[in-house]
Amino acid sequence: MSTVERRGSSLYVKSLRLYFMNTDINYKRYLKLDLLPTPWCPGCGNGIVLKAVCQAFDELNLPKEGTVIVSGIGCAGRSAGFFDLDSVHTAHGRAIPVAEGIKYANDALTVVVLSGDGDLLGIGGNHLLHAIRRNTNITVVCYANEIYGMTGGQVSPLTPHNAKTVTSPLGNADFPIDVQSYFKNRNSYFARTTAFHLNHLKKSIVEALKFKGFSFVEARTMCIVNYGRRVGYKNSHEMLMHYKEFYKVSDDTEELSQNEIGILRHTAGL
Amino acid sequence: MPKQLLQGNQAIAMAAEVAGVKFFAGYPITPASEIIHEMVNKRHIKVLQMEDEIASINAVIGASLAGLKAMTATSGPGFSLMQESIGLAHIMEVPLVIVNVQRVGPSTGMPTLPAQGDIIQCKHGSHGDYFPIVFYPNSVAELYKYTVMAFNAAEESLSPVILLSDGYISHLYETIVPHRDFEVVKRTRPPLGTGNRHFTGLSHENSVVKTADADNYRRLIASLQEKQQLTAQRYNYYEYCACTKETDTLLISFGALSRVAYYFRNDFALYRPIRMYPLVEEIKTIAARYKRILMMEMNTGQYVHEIESILRREIQFIPILGGCIDLGEIKREIARVG
Ligand SMILES: Cc1ncc(C[n+]2csc(CCOP(=O)(O)OP(=O)(O)O)c2C)c(N)n1
Ligand code: SF4
Ligand SMILES: [Mg+2]
Repeated sequence: MSTVERRGSSLYVKSLRLYFMNTDINYKRYLKLDLLPTPWCPGCGNGIVLKAVCQAFDELNLPKEGTVIVSGIGCAGRSAGFFDLDSVHTAHGRAIPVAEGIKYANDALTVVVLSGDGDLLGIGGNHLLHAIRRNTNITVVCYANEIYGMTGGQVSPLTPHNAKTVTSPLGNADFPIDVQSYFKNRNSYFARTTAFHLNHLKKSIVEALKFKGFSFVEARTMCIVNYGRRVGYKNSHEMLMHYKEFYKVSDDTEELSQNEIGILRHTAGL
Repeated sequence: MPKQLLQGNQAIAMAAEVAGVKFFAGYPITPASEIIHEMVNKRHIKVLQMEDEIASINAVIGASLAGLKAMTATSGPGFSLMQESIGLAHIMEVPLVIVNVQRVGPSTGMPTLPAQGDIIQCKHGSHGDYFPIVFYPNSVAELYKYTVMAFNAAEESLSPVILLSDGYISHLYETIVPHRDFEVVKRTRPPLGTGNRHFTGLSHENSVVKTADADNYRRLIASLQEKQQLTAQRYNYYEYCACTKETDTLLISFGALSRVAYYFRNDFALYRPIRMYPLVEEIKTIAARYKRILMMEMNTGQYVHEIESILRREIQFIPILGGCIDLGEIKREIARVG
């Protein structure tokens, strides 16, 4: 069949329509489309994570009323302002305690934190440890771009060893945090995923939202402008291809090795 | 209503309940800890002991936005940690109450002893311009009353209101009549989860961030300032005792130290601000009656500059540094400047 013929077939048109209805249109109801574009650079991975969050909401058919987004400060932290829901844009590092206050004040709300790796693991790292301890029933999606994007590309708690950044011109002397280790021996949900693995990304968020208790999604994503290009990537597509080559899916395991993505559910104490 | 012997911090906790507090988050610190100890025993109040004061104030911000009247209580070191988020609560217009039971600083200082070293921090502790409403009572009965007023002012102004205390009055036991018949201002703003508002620390207009619009920013700050001034007018609290004898001197003090000032009521006229910020305007007409103005506070000179600038007059200042209040010392100091 020629392309022209295929395009004309009603099955093709139907499936296209279905595709857009189900996956490409409905999730947009969670966004304030009139506020677009986002302030993010061309090639930034944040939009992919933002879209996956909305798609996860859509898959669960989360009602807009009763859902609250909380962000910290940073490029990722600008996510909250684009949602067509009540949202709070807190101080740097403070999204988790604000989200906990919201959740403990009204347990009926679905509270979702969207923020960066510097925000959640660096300046706000202590809050994360204690939210895990309290097992507060909220979901945190960390835009893990391995860098302080907004402030110009300084070392973050997830910057790899030896990576050159503006504050580690000779290479990062330290090793990144292994976030999953925070969740051991806890009743908790941890997922690592990437902006390349779209289905896995969405699934990780859906399962996190369904989890009763504290859930955390570490979504590896590209900061091309203030990180990628400085460590040798020509464009963000190359970074995506790196995720594709490097990471292997390994769900239902006890611990993820460095090159694995997957979902870990611990049920200690249950 | 029967009389009750209450500690200052207990009175704060009781009054908060009367004012309708439903959420408390805090971190232990002398001399404020009794407040959280009281709170955990109250039914219908959600209490969280957080990992630090930054988490505490932020949890309170979240709970307040989610619809509950919320508060935290701390002392100087914790109050310092909260400063960034106090600014956030101002620009996001979040009603809440922060109790700061002052102790001797800077740093860990003398934790169990009273001081008045956080006056300027109340007004300028966070970066940028904001216009807090601050009350500073001087007895257990007043701590009770002004806790309720602090909640009311917070609700009316949609801002974080500060209730100052100090290690002395918060640990004082006095008999009071704990009335419950206050008019309590109810929450009107719908809670989180009912709309599509965006609460942000960025400069904004109608839920839309405006990071590079200076005109909008100026309008925003001006409207916040006006709102705070208008609300404060309804809480115009101060104490003025004209002297029993003819005198040309007005003695100004507040908090713990003002209790000692009563000793001089037969020598000087006395003025005590209760609403510390914004300044009570009546001080201008009161001060105009006196040739000499004496002022003492438990720091090296914080509020005296506020009084000087509102009166545009020279003031004789007596610093009584924190840790101890001694009548003999105060008499000597008054004699020295006089
Ligand atoms: C208290 C405070 N310190 C520093 C900053 C400056 N600052 C803004 S964003 C940011 C880093 C954000 O990094 P990350 O959370 O990884 O977000 P990204 O920009 O990478 O998405 C910093 C340090 C700030 N806003 N507040
Ligand atoms: S600086 Fe990096 S993280 Fe920030 S918007 Fe640009 S590409 Fe994205
Ligand atoms: Mg980052």
